[in-house]
Amino acid sequence: MSNRVDLGLLKELKEYGHVNVEACFNCGNCTAICPLSTDETPFPRNNIRLLQVGLKERILQSTDPWLCYYCGECSETCPRDAEPAEAQMALRRWLTAQYDWTGLGARFYTSNTWAIGALLFMTVIVLTLIALFHGPMETDHVELNTFAPIHIVHLADLVMAVAISLYLFMNVYRMFSFIILKGAKVKIPLSIYLTEAWNLPYQFLTQKRFSECEDRRPWLNHMILASGYALMFAIIVLFLNWFQTDNLYPLFNPQRWLGYYAAAALIYGAGMAIWGRAKKDRQLHKYSQLSDWLFPILLILLAVSGLLVHIFRYVGMPLATYYAYVVHMIFVPSIYFVVGPMGKWAHLFYRPLAIYFQAVKEKALVAQTAPAVASVGAD
Amino acid sequence: MPDKETSKLEPSQMKTDTEEPRIGVYTCYCGGNIGFVIDCERVADELGKLPNVVVTRTDMSMCSDVGQTMIEEDIREHGVNRVVIGACAPSLHEQTFRGTVSRAGLNPYFYHHVGIREQDSWVHSHDHEGATKKAIRLMSAGIAKARLLEPLEPIKLSAEKHALVIGGGVAGLRSAWDLSRRGLKVTLVEKSPFLGGHMAQLEKTFPSGEEAGGLLGPLIANVVSDPNITVHTYSEVTGVRGYVGDFHIQITQQSRGVDDTLGEAAMQACKTEVQDEFNYGLTNRKLVYKAYPGCYPSTPAVDWDHCPDGYLELEIDGRQIKLENQPKTFDINTGAVVVATGFQPYTPLKGEYGYLEHPEVLTLPQFIRLLTLIPEGKELQLNGHRVHNIGFVHCVGSRQIEGIHEAQEDGQVNNYCSRVCCTATLQAINELRQRYPDLNIVDIYEDIRTYGRGHEEYYAEASANQVLFMRFHGEEPAEVVRATDGDKSPLLIRVKDYLTWGEEIEVPVDMVVLAVGMMPTSIEDLIRLLKVSPGTDRFLLEVHPKLRPVETAVPGVVLAGTAQGPMNIKESIAAASAAASKVAVLLSRGKVELEPFVAHVDHELCTGSGECVEVCAYEDAISLKPVSMDGKEVEKALVTSANCVGCGVCVSACPNLAIDLQGWTLKQYDAMVDALVMDMSAIGVKHE
Repeated sequence: MSNRVDLGLLKELKEYGHVNVEACFNCGNCTAICPLSTDETPFPRNNIRLLQVGLKERILQSTDPWLCYYCGECSETCPRDAEPAEAQMALRRWLTAQYDWTGLGARFYTSNTWAIGALLFMTVIVLTLIALFHGPMETDHVELNTFAPIHIVHLADLVMAVAISLYLFMNVYRMFSFIILKGAKVKIPLSIYLTEAWNLPYQFLTQKRFSECEDRRPWLNHMILASGYALMFAIIVLFLNWFQTDNLYPLFNPQRWLGYYAAAALIYGAGMAIWGRAKKDRQLHKYSQLSDWLFPILLILLAVSGLLVHIFRYVGMPLATYYAYVVHMIFVPSIYFVVGPMGKWAHLFYRPLAIYFQAVKEKALVAQTAPAVASVGAD
Repeated sequence: MPDKETSKLEPSQMKTDTEEPRIGVYTCYCGGNIGFVIDCERVADELGKLPNVVVTRTDMSMCSDVGQTMIEEDIREHGVNRVVIGACAPSLHEQTFRGTVSRAGLNPYFYHHVGIREQDSWVHSHDHEGATKKAIRLMSAGIAKARLLEPLEPIKLSAEKHALVIGGGVAGLRSAWDLSRRGLKVTLVEKSPFLGGHMAQLEKTFPSGEEAGGLLGPLIANVVSDPNITVHTYSEVTGVRGYVGDFHIQITQQSRGVDDTLGEAAMQACKTEVQDEFNYGLTNRKLVYKAYPGCYPSTPAVDWDHCPDGYLELEIDGRQIKLENQPKTFDINTGAVVVATGFQPYTPLKGEYGYLEHPEVLTLPQFIRLLTLIPEGKELQLNGHRVHNIGFVHCVGSRQIEGIHEAQEDGQVNNYCSRVCCTATLQAINELRQRYPDLNIVDIYEDIRTYGRGHEEYYAEASANQVLFMRFHGEEPAEVVRATDGDKSPLLIRVKDYLTWGEEIEVPVDMVVLAVGMMPTSIEDLIRLLKVSPGTDRFLLEVHPKLRPVETAVPGVVLAGTAQGPMNIKESIAAASAAASKVAVLLSRGKVELEPFVAHVDHELCTGSGECVEVCAYEDAISLKPVSMDGKEVEKALVTSANCVGCGVCVSACPNLAIDLQGWTLKQYDAMVDALVMDMSAIGVKHE
């Protein structure tokens, strides 16, 4: 494969938010100061160079942008103000769009009209479905499960989960094919896939790499947000029957305080992200694209509208409860079909996967040279 | 000699050369340059034991005021009448100390300088004992010579208050104008028919971005309207006789072929076209031509180089007219010569980065002309092909490596940096970016050397404006090849890009611009006539790069501008002004002084064999002339001091030992050699 210059790539990445990559003169200060880069993955310098030259395939085959957690030290110390950290962010947006088989990701990232349009479209779809399938509105007292029959909601829930999973699976497969099938350049035995698989749940749950940034507060915020999200996700997908109920429980019941924790964590975590981006309080928040705003805003709206449903139900305001529920319902699919597998949400999977793929590749490379060492030992 | 330390002599007595030598010996630490290696105190102690040495001293820095005052006091108060200084190379401070000695009332040639830094401490930095002993030996040889020193007087010559400037480019023009403003008469000769040189071919200049023409035009106007300056275009120096202050220069001038009344009509009538060198062959011009609009002189000239028979026949208004070249030769008398012969852009060899093999490959000077030929707003095209991608390659014909780069006709490669091309390339790139915002520009460099004030900004601007930089190593130059048929762009540049970890990268391009370096204009004849020396890089050599940066080894011949090495316009002008100032200092008093180290013939011993005349390499330096001795006319060798460089060849050729070099006599050499091989223990020095 010849390395051919493509100056169009950098122009394309401008739309995904790179700020000043052209100013980079490849000194390597960014990689030197980065607490996360290694000899095998010397980002940001390496992929900034690939970006300048326009070696698209090489970037597609790289895990590096996912291994960066935007500590921001590279951007703070860059002698050329080339904003290497934001370049990694732009590359993550671009890679997300590249992994997306539908092409929607590219549309949403590069056109705010498309992204907002999709939100409105989802709103119309949800309102239509609710108009078609909702039950009678009992006004004497709150009967949410009569207005929104739980079996229909749960069915819609599961259908959506399956659709999103399939969609995501296609994208993950594309990621796998770029990074491993085309990019590994080494034969990977099945055993390595298995022995390294622990990386996936471990990184998913701990975001360990993120905590290796010198300033650990962003990681802590993110952990709180992620715990709230994961908890809420589990409750809604697995225990909706238990959660969406017309029963009133005392305060100490787990149904209530688990819900409160998840909502509070979502509001706090997403709120901090929004607040940080608005104030540009740290390097991480200096540059924001619509997708960066949309994800936390939707999460907050989801949590707040859910809380409202809950409050209205407990104070016994039937109509308010139903309307709040309708609003709440608008945000659920919006998250998944606007910033979902084609957008920022997908990082939940791409980040642990990238760490996993990288570990697999590196182990396979070691294994490739190891037999020679073993045979020397045998002699 | 116990009493010598205390005895004092009057200054008037010191000047006599018959008295007993009283030698002061001074050893300089030169900060730590000498002192960290050589035990200067021991050197001083040992040398103090030698005969005639009355004072030995050391100092941290002998050339400082304190050091010089110390020497002056020793001469005035301690009766020192010969001075030996062991310090840096004489080329640095010999003149300094000659001044010191003469300020104290002593003949300045009663002083000898021994280089114990370059010749000793620097080269033996790991052998302190050996270096110290060597310093003792070298300086004792200096002392031996000092005993035999004789008073000398500089050679004084009357000087013509007139300077000749060779070259009508920006350096020559500036030199001429500066010289005139210092009250000297100036003759300026320009080989081509028009003034302006290479600067006239530029559009914008860096770092100010001003139009080259806007800067050059007024300078030319000043020069040609100056009553003290005589300009001869289409002229060359064809003969040089004489010496500083009194050169006789022969100038040969081609005919212009046409005058003002005939000029325009002749340009119209001429049908034959040749490549226009002003546009580096991108366009054609007629045989009767003007170099560029608004050029000086405004009278067209006939290009005789392309008229092999020396005449050109034209039909003008129905009449057959024969234009003939009738070169005329004349002499001028001048006190000094400024060589401002300038440079020529390096012409790549056929196939070097695809040059002359692919029509899409241009040199930077060509490209700068091309940009001026494309009207503002018109797209960038070459041979009808729209340019989308363009690549610039640095260091073409500069920083070449033997064995890697193909040698030129003389077997050499240009291993020097041409200094100007980096900024010039980036300036062209920025200009291009402004005019064509969508163009893809790739800049392939070895190093970016934007060294001057305001130059780095060109790099910053280019890198902020979507120019891709790639870096190659000198041992692995990029190559330009034709792309395969399916490609959109006709050429590929293949480069091992060290910013991409040395990987080979292909750059598809529609045009390649080679940032060619500078080579000196070929002036072999002039070098021979003036006896100036080129360096190994073929540029003319100065006496000393720091201390005498514009003077040549030939007295009265100075350098201005790129004849001396690659320079930008600012540096050329600075050098030109420096050259003018050197000439003005030399000539403004109407006389010049030369060092007295020239051959001297003892007519008692000379038999007129003429062997000295045969071996002398310098014109009119030594010759046989009739002199009357004891009432008889006899032929004896006579030295013309102004033409003698003191090389000493005649000294060795003379069968009668009748010739000596003043200041470096055979006796002095003998004494120095004796001292170098002397058994030092004989005089109580125990360290040998």
